[in-house]
Amino acid sequence: MTCRDLFERLSEYVDGELSQEICEEIQRHMEGCEPCVAFAKTLKKTAELCRRLPSRPIPPEVAADLRGVLVTHLSKRK
Amino acid sequence: MPPENEHTLIEASRAGDSAAVEELVRSYQGRVYGFAMRMCRNAEDAKDILQETFLGMIRSIREFRGESKFTTWLYRIASNACLKKRRRGVFEPEPEQELSLDDLMPRAGPDGRKPEIADWSEDAERALLRGELSQQMEAAIDRLPPEVKIVLVLRDVEGFSAEETAEMLKLSVPAVKSRLHRARVFVRRELSGYFQDQRKS
Ligand SMILES: [Zn+2]
Repeated sequence: MTCRDLFERLSEYVDGELSQEICEEIQRHMEGCEPCVAFAKTLKKTAELCRRLPSRPIPPEVAADLRGVLVTHLSKRK
Repeated sequence: MPPENEHTLIEASRAGDSAAVEELVRSYQGRVYGFAMRMCRNAEDAKDILQETFLGMIRSIREFRGESKFTTWLYRIASNACLKKRRRGVFEPEPEQELSLDDLMPRAGPDGRKPEIADWSEDAERALLRGELSQQMEAAIDRLPPEVKIVLVLRDVEGFSAEETAEMLKLSVPAVKSRLHRARVFVRRELSGYFQDQRKS
């Protein structure tokens, strides 16, 4: 397995989507390849960091406007 | 919301119960707004997307038969609304041609030596504690083309599976995985640049 082969499958690797056979091949490559180890660690970290991004809460006036639009729509439906 | 309550609400909504519809909207409006805001970065557009999503939900909830999860079904409407907000220009490349892996792969040195790759995963934790990292990440995510960005947001930010994301975007699972990988590699590269600058200063 070359660095390029590994690079292509790294997201599947960090997501645990590859067969055990391919995972072992990747691990064997990484034992002798520092750049690939660092790349894999930082790619995994990137995905983890996304999961921890804070979301913008809905402003009360936006929720109120939404409710207004929906109530109008629902009352027309009847 | 516990699944059995949600199921009851959905059934009541399908039967035309307005109070149930309103409660269903209330339980999802915050999440959909956060998603819309992240996708379009504009309060006016996010508000439109939010209204379009829930109007769409009300219009078609009778057709929801529970073959997919309700969240998946709702996010499909929301995703469509987000992507409709930014129509692709005639000369923009297709998403499959953008961010090619060949361009994103770290280059070997001119002498054929392996590229030097810094492991900044520990730095990231410290930067996160200092509250600096989120803004850097959001900016990097915003530089992705929308069709690639939405995959990263659904998978890594919202936490949906590849299968659910594929269903929402009407893509194949391999297409989702390919876009996700390119998106992550791109954001990773942007963060590497940030940490490199941090180390220098
Ligand atoms: Zn390697």
